[in-house]
Amino acid sequence: MIKLLEKLPRTECPKFLHRVIDGVCGRDPPRLHDYSSVWSLREWLELVDTLSSIFRTAIGKKMSDEEVQQSINWLDIGYQEAILTCLKGRKEEIRQALVEKTNAISSTQLQDFDWQIKLALSSDKISSLQIPLLNLDLDTKENGVLKPLSIEMNREELQNLINSLESANKVVLQLK
Amino acid sequence: RFRFCGDLDCPDWVLAEISTLAKISSVKMKLLCVQVLKDLLGEGIDYDKVSKLTSDAKFESGDIKASVAVLSFILSSAAKHNVDSESLSSELQQLGLPKEHTTGLCKSYEDKHSALQVKLRESSLRLSRLESVSWRVDYTLSSSELREVNEPTVLLKLQVQGAESGVTETSMISLTAEKFRVLLTELKQAQAVMNSLN
Repeated sequence: MIKLLEKLPRTECPKFLHRVIDGVCGRDPPRLHDYSSVWSLREWLELVDTLSSIFRTAIGKKMSDEEVQQSINWLDIGYQEAILTCLKGRKEEIRQALVEKTNAISSTQLQDFDWQIKLALSSDKISSLQIPLLNLDLDTKENGVLKPLSIEMNREELQNLINSLESANKVVLQLK
Repeated sequence: RFRFCGDLDCPDWVLAEISTLAKISSVKMKLLCVQVLKDLLGEGIDYDKVSKLTSDAKFESGDIKASVAVLSFILSSAAKHNVDSESLSSELQQLGLPKEHTTGLCKSYEDKHSALQVKLRESSLRLSRLESVSWRVDYTLSSSELREVNEPTVLLKLQVQGAESGVTETSMISLTAEKFRVLLTELKQAQAVMNSLN
């Protein structure tokens, strides 16, 4: 399968490999559309799959350069080097992606968050309210499905949340 | 135009029931105020006491309801528009409430003015509230994805009360150490902005 990589000119390899790694890290993977003159659909799927798995395994199993090279040794040496170079440069990023994937196992994980502060001026209950409120949007992902959670907090509630996170943070810092 | 009505005309029903209030003694009316304030502050009203207080005036149940309603309106509306007790006193006298009655009412109002405002602030519309937070820190050793993970993860349980009171939703979220750090930093920034609003 991996031999298919050699259909791409050596010089275009890094760009393609980096896009494959993007896919591994949960961003936009390469599109067949851009490479349809090089590979057929079947070849494409096989190649991207194989390469992704090589990158994941190399980092996931903490393989040495030699071990990685062995797993791709039927490739032309120039292509082997291209893979190793790309892998080296993005080691940390792939690792972080795998940590995220690990974290997603049997739990809802936080994808992203946004916040906004508003000053509530007046209400039907009282004409001068003057209460600052924080709106926190948490985008969580559960089994691949995005689930938004929106929380409105006043000063005390925010303080309460920060206090809890601070105590957790103390423990996290000790572990680092 | 009356300040305690939000610079609007006094509603007709309030005007009408002010004369009902004048039928009980000023002392009894002050005690009635105490009960109404308890109700407004969420401490619960004692209806037996209320009917005893109004018994000499031979109030019918409609009159009792009306006097509770009118006191409730005056007290909450004055607090809502942040009217001081002196202004309230002069406005009520303009509307025909006897002087002794007015003094008693305004004294009770003055005592509970800030408590009433706190209560009104609290009961103002909120989209949701954060009720409680629980956390746990885990240290992940290994996984099928990554042989040596060795990273802490933070589990958060957030209990959020929705717009309808009494309905709480519990969410469990896990965060990688990295995301947790960013979240905490940003929340602190938000808090700084909030505190600067004082």
